[in-house]
Amino acid sequence: MKVTHRRTTDKVDQEINVSPLIDVVFILLIFFIVSATFVSLPGVEINRPRVETAKSLQRNAILFALSNENQLFHGGQRIQLEEITEVIERADKKRDKPVIVQVDQWADASILAKVVAQARKSRSKVSIATRKPS
Amino acid sequence: MKRRFSGTSEQTEINVSPLIDMVFILLIFFIVATSFVNEIGISSTYKDSASPNSSDLEPLTFDLTSSGQILQNGNPVSMEEIAPIVVRTDRELSDKITVRVEPGSRAGLATQVMDQAMRGGASTVKLTALSR
Repeated sequence: MKVTHRRTTDKVDQEINVSPLIDVVFILLIFFIVSATFVSLPGVEINRPRVETAKSLQRNAILFALSNENQLFHGGQRIQLEEITEVIERADKKRDKPVIVQVDQWADASILAKVVAQARKSRSKVSIATRKPS
Repeated sequence: MKRRFSGTSEQTEINVSPLIDMVFILLIFFIVATSFVNEIGISSTYKDSASPNSSDLEPLTFDLTSSGQILQNGNPVSMEEIAPIVVRTDRELSDKITVRVEPGSRAGLATQVMDQAMRGGASTVKLTALSR
């Protein structure tokens, strides 16, 4: 009788208390759910131009890509220059996200200028994505 | 009596391992899905409404031709000369720089011109397209 009782207490002692673990994991989960900002990537391979004075850009932004064949992409789809305003309005109704244009170094600069000008009609902060010179 | 009591307490415990498994999977999903797009780049944050003072002054302008030549007031300049030109120019003029690009010129060169102008101390660089 005494032995049996001792064994049950041992068994209870052996179990790890998982409730703090669950608490921490839940807090982490809630943090990641809340902070999850699903940025829709343009979905094309872009060879960015090398620039020395590049600054870090805001993470949560509306991305556009201008490929080396002078085609404009957003969210994996090809779009027209005139659609930029509509796309920006659809992607961000709160009007606080900046616009980042990923441009291929072989793309046409005049088209880039037109894209930037068009995006500036609806957003004040338009940046051109680059990379650091190696 | 004692044995029975400990037995019931074991039975009432909920098995939390599947819960933990699921929560971990959700956690990993959200960690992976938050793709932090870390872009670096140049911003052409110019103000459209210029102050009345600077509006009569012609802004410092660089032209980029389709052949890759850089022109400043019609004179060809090299990429290395841009920053010194911006440094030399009057502060009021050099603060706002316009880069005009011809259709057919490379975006890589245009961003380099903007980069060099910013190295020379320009705070705002405007990119405009030249119509042929």
